[in-house]
Amino acid sequence: MFFRKYGDIIIGIFYTALGAVTIWLARQLPKSRVMKIGPDFMPMVIGVLIVFLALMLLFSAVKNFKANAAKAEAMPADTSDYKRVLASLVLVVIYVNILAPVGFILSTLGYLFLQIVVLAPNDRRTAKNILTYAVIDVIFVFVVFFLFRYGFKIVLPAGIFTL
Amino acid sequence: MGALGQLGSAVLRVCEPTSLLLMIAGVTIGIIFGSIPGLSASMAVALMLPLTFSMGSSLGMNVLVAVYIGGISGGLISAILLNMPGTASSIATTFDGYPMAQKGEAMKALGVGIVFSFLGSVFSFVILTFFAPWLADVALKFAAPDNFGICFFALTMVAVLSSGNMVKGLLAGMLGLVFALVGLAPIDGTARFTFGVAEMRGGFNTLTTLIGIFAVADILVSAETIGSGVKTIPVKKVRGFGFSIAEFFKWIPGAVRAALIGTGIGILPGIGGSTSGMLAYVTAKNMSKHPETFGQGDPEGIVATETANNATIGGALIPLLVLGIPGDGVTAMMLGGFLIHGLSAGPLLFVKNADVVYGIFAACMVCALIMLIVEWTCIKAFVQVLKVPKHVLLPLILVLCAVGAYATNNRIFDVQSIVVFGVIGYLYHKFKLPTTPFVLCFLIGRMTEEYLRRGLMRFKTFGAFFTRPIFCVFFAIAVGVILWSLYKEIKAKKNS
Repeated sequence: MFFRKYGDIIIGIFYTALGAVTIWLARQLPKSRVMKIGPDFMPMVIGVLIVFLALMLLFSAVKNFKANAAKAEAMPADTSDYKRVLASLVLVVIYVNILAPVGFILSTLGYLFLQIVVLAPNDRRTAKNILTYAVIDVIFVFVVFFLFRYGFKIVLPAGIFTL
Repeated sequence: MGALGQLGSAVLRVCEPTSLLLMIAGVTIGIIFGSIPGLSASMAVALMLPLTFSMGSSLGMNVLVAVYIGGISGGLISAILLNMPGTASSIATTFDGYPMAQKGEAMKALGVGIVFSFLGSVFSFVILTFFAPWLADVALKFAAPDNFGICFFALTMVAVLSSGNMVKGLLAGMLGLVFALVGLAPIDGTARFTFGVAEMRGGFNTLTTLIGIFAVADILVSAETIGSGVKTIPVKKVRGFGFSIAEFFKWIPGAVRAALIGTGIGILPGIGGSTSGMLAYVTAKNMSKHPETFGQGDPEGIVATETANNATIGGALIPLLVLGIPGDGVTAMMLGGFLIHGLSAGPLLFVKNADVVYGIFAACMVCALIMLIVEWTCIKAFVQVLKVPKHVLLPLILVLCAVGAYATNNRIFDVQSIVVFGVIGYLYHKFKLPTTPFVLCFLIGRMTEEYLRRGLMRFKTFGAFFTRPIFCVFFAIAVGVILWSLYKEIKAKKNS
């Protein structure tokens, strides 16, 4: 509901701010001494275009807010499972940040198992299912590790444990 | 000996058992690399490069060609089955391939993709074999302003892709342009928007951007609804390649147009298969009598993209072989292959090592056929992926993507950046912003600026660009596209 009702207004505000920041950052860049356009030219053009388009969207969203809000309210309620989304995002963020210090094998063993469990529907979280996920996790991690490390000769982050 | 005679004897050499077996292995390795999101054709060629060292120069180059062809074609498998382009060339394959797979037509989509990949390859290889020197002369006529004209024209495709809600579509693309600005500016190398982070000086990698936007975002989007139960996607069984002769002939005009776009873009160094696939897709959509079916699972979308991206291979080999200019990452690796084997790519290659050149031409044709057979044989195995429950499959893919992102430059920064792009992809989904303009602008933004500035360095003023007919043609088409899109948008608004 929130996204449907206020989506365009939020996008308009975000992009206006993005355009303004882009213009501000472009102004900090040095001008070229040898050419008519320097490294600041393209960011400035993009920034101005963003602000122009964002204001157009914002104007239209505010003008049509009542009609759009009525349409959004008439639509079925949002049943998205944001807990699972947030848990998945947290897991991915942790994974990419521990990959180097902990190493591919240990970090992936942990991430993959937890991510499958988080995404699994509630009726697929029985003890038998969990055991299956653990087996898939271990087999997959080692197959990928050996395939990349010794098959493709691609060195993966070693961290605190590797083979 | 005439060209046909040299080609005939090269085909015989290429079809020797050892050569054939090595090329089958090369195509298969290429397909594996191409089909895994995160691994690319250039990575596969880089991996195979040292292995060809012990082979003869002709055989070595043929194996590299095999890997290249397999690598570009393999991208369609994950694009269709998983909505994740295995390579940047197959981004537009996802637009219709994935909806077809969701409707149970995965085998048909794969069949269409495989056949038209083959036809696109063969078309460009015929052009390569018979017109390479002449087309290389044409490619040399393209100066920076002309390339800027093409990039500008490609950017205006965002307006076409955004029809229905143009302002939102254009804004979606603008963020891609902002991300393309990050790193050292072209020409003078001024650090832009790097905020003191050393890794950002190199800019964001194309592959990691795609992985984030498609793979990570897909996990987050799926997490919203995955709890409601395990859904399996049906797979309709098909005969042959899954389409009728009548359908095949109906698609041929579109395929020829896409093949011309693909080969044409391939000839121009630095633009590449991802742009040609997108351009062919948008052109097919624009010229279709039923554009509204594009994006809903229309096989013509796959025909356009797959024909064009494979036709780019033959096109890209033209400046490489004739002028010694690599057009993209993969052809740069191939140039390395020439150096390893003591060959010097360029005009003299045709004089000094005609056997190698014709060997490559013959290998291209044979490898295209091998690709068709290998992919068709494995099509039933590929669709088994759809039987794996999504809650298991998506995390497995993410791990492969993370490994691929890391392997691109051996930088953990690339792995971390997939999360940033994943969140952007998810937010785009929530706010109903299309991701395609973002990807297109990200891919072309940097090139556009580079060619503009290069052109201004040489021609001093933008007005001087208009003295170049090639630039004028593309600029006029681009302006026409913008005006036509605006007209359609205003008309649609009035009608509603």
